[in-house]
Amino acid sequence: MQPELIVFFVLGTVAVGSAIGMLLSRNAVYSALFLILNFATVAVFYLVLGAPFIAMVQVTVYAGAIMVLFLFVIMLLGAEHLERRTGADWQKPIAALLGVVLLVEAGYVLLSESVSLPGINVPAADYGAPVAIGELLFSEYLLPFEVTSVLLLAAMVGAIVITRRDAPRRKKR
Amino acid sequence: MVPVQYFVGLSAILFTLGALGVLTRRNAIIIFMSIELMLNSANLLFVAFARAFEALSGQIFVFFVMTVAAAEVAVGLALIVAVFRTKDTINIDEVSSLRG
Amino acid sequence: MQANTLAILPEISLAVLAALLILIDLRLKPERKALLPGITAAGLLAVLALTLAFARPGAAPESIWGGMLRHDTAAFVFRLIFLFGAAVTCLFTIGWKQVERRGEFFVLLVLSTLGMTLMAAAGDLIMLFLAIETASIPLYVMAGFMTADEKSTESGFKYLLFGALTSSVMVYGFSLLYGFAGTTDLYALAAAVASGDLPPLGLLGALVLVLAGFGFKVAVVPFHFWAPDVYEGAPTPVTAFLSTASKSAGFAVVVRFLLAVFPAAVLPQIIGVAALMSVLSMTLGNSAALAQRNIKRLLAYSSIAHAGYILMGVAAASLLGAASVVYYLAVYLVTNLAAFGVVIIYFNVVGSDEIKDYAGLSRRHPGLAFALLVALLSLAGVPPLGGFFAKILVFAAAVEAGLIWLAVAGVLNAILGLYYYLMVLKVVYLDRGPDEDKPLPVRRAHMAALVVCLLLVLALGTVLGPMYDWSNLAAGGLF
Repeated sequence: MQPELIVFFVLGTVAVGSAIGMLLSRNAVYSALFLILNFATVAVFYLVLGAPFIAMVQVTVYAGAIMVLFLFVIMLLGAEHLERRTGADWQKPIAALLGVVLLVEAGYVLLSESVSLPGINVPAADYGAPVAIGELLFSEYLLPFEVTSVLLLAAMVGAIVITRRDAPRRKKR
Repeated sequence: MVPVQYFVGLSAILFTLGALGVLTRRNAIIIFMSIELMLNSANLLFVAFARAFEALSGQIFVFFVMTVAAAEVAVGLALIVAVFRTKDTINIDEVSSLRG
Repeated sequence: MQANTLAILPEISLAVLAALLILIDLRLKPERKALLPGITAAGLLAVLALTLAFARPGAAPESIWGGMLRHDTAAFVFRLIFLFGAAVTCLFTIGWKQVERRGEFFVLLVLSTLGMTLMAAAGDLIMLFLAIETASIPLYVMAGFMTADEKSTESGFKYLLFGALTSSVMVYGFSLLYGFAGTTDLYALAAAVASGDLPPLGLLGALVLVLAGFGFKVAVVPFHFWAPDVYEGAPTPVTAFLSTASKSAGFAVVVRFLLAVFPAAVLPQIIGVAALMSVLSMTLGNSAALAQRNIKRLLAYSSIAHAGYILMGVAAASLLGAASVVYYLAVYLVTNLAAFGVVIIYFNVVGSDEIKDYAGLSRRHPGLAFALLVALLSLAGVPPLGGFFAKILVFAAAVEAGLIWLAVAGVLNAILGLYYYLMVLKVVYLDRGPDEDKPLPVRRAHMAALVVCLLLVLALGTVLGPMYDWSNLAAGGLF
């Protein structure tokens, strides 16, 4: 077996295992920690795939900032064990449908010979380098880059508005 | 090298696991984490395809998806905190009072 | 470069308006904060005027900003629709206590509108995704804006969960499309699809995933679950905005994506998918609306049904179909804004959204009752109002495309719809209420907004020319 394949399967097992761990943990903190492991594994995949910049962003933004925010809120609310019963739900049918569509799609892509997906070759030396990404972001993708500033402004204003407590009222059930 | 099909398979598994989490869990925070897992599987696919095409547009897309995810999580967790303040629960079955 | 800048003048001026609003909100004395909705509405109308004056596209569609945006008539007409909807929404927030003095609300409204204008113009998957999120994230906050009200927070929370779920599904679909075609540019993608080299079944699967995201924005079956709950719980001005501008933005993306990128000639199955969703939305929306006692929920189900009618134009997959979608959206925008305007005005005085509490409205305020009458009859599709001609157009598009069964289903649904709109009007005109002799004050700004909307409803049903020409031009610019 080629070393790349071994790396893929080891990492893949960790990624899938941590995702399953997240699903099955009864404690929300464990779920968050499993998800961080999953994100870190995916970051290693990004490195293998020649995307060092994205890998670093994944670690700092996803595994770092976003998941810390999750952990913070879980602990703030004391929401580790806030799960009692399962029942019917408004989003079940659609997610089931989409799941089936997705698995069929993936199976089709994997099994059918007629689908020609490109193979993976050894890329140019500077492929995925931060410099290359930065140049693209400030030339071809300048407009989307500026739009993200608007988006982040909206999110910041929104998060502050929602959590600010100007009329302290807490309804007891 | 690892064929790109393998990455399609792996990301499909991760995506489906995320969808299952949305289906089966009741804790709003865990549902939200499952959604992040789904986004992440899409990102993995983008980077794999970008590598296959030796084009950077896939990586750029992932960069933007991450930005959006950060914004979405900030607003989402703020809303979860707001719901918790009014209802003292974030179990999505107990949150629902709007029915008709 | 200058042409590039002029083309995004609406977006630039919206960003400037949002920044100005933050500053104005900071400097305004507390007792003058009630001016905020008016200032925002004036600002939005100014942007509308700027757009009309300077951001008109040329005869041939252009790709600008490295292919990120399309500068064509479709984007232009949709921009006008969103800006008008946002301005009217601002006027209707006057008097909505928890919202009218909060500058942040108007900042979010303007930023969301900015996202919508980008949605209509996006020519690249990356831009499209960012635009959809820029439009959605402020809307989540706006739906949950009344943080002391448990229904509002629940509404924002549900909207966010469902929105985040469908957008992650959509991104997965985008990644598959990228994998098949190797490009994120919509029109390069269209060329790759048209070449026929891509596996049709794989494309269709990816398309279904993408449609989950779009279907959520426009609230069609089976992606409609959120709509009634979110519409009921959100502050009513936000509901009005959601059901009009946000829905139009979703359809702006749907027509571009389904007609320009995935032409039915290559993927004939798309017509089947769109027609099926159309029938299901009409039937489910209308039959669920029959049982509603809350006017906001009724209008929510009615908006699902209308999304079904509009999808009929998409399913026709023709020039006439696309034109009918644009025309229908313009009519639906002014009509639904008028209907929600009455609901908002009435709630401000009476404090109830229950249909039974509308009893005696015609005696308390004949003008308001008449406004509701015109709006609901236009929604039902009664001539000579705008709704009638819009329905005729989509039905004609369906018949022209050979989807006669779909047109028949549409007509049957229109009859079903007429029934529940008339049930509301019966309560308004025939039932006696306890407070009939009490006055019902209506603010000038509200009245002005209502009158403008109603005149447009009437104009779109009688003076068809200008808007129809625009719709045709917009449809032509898509391809």
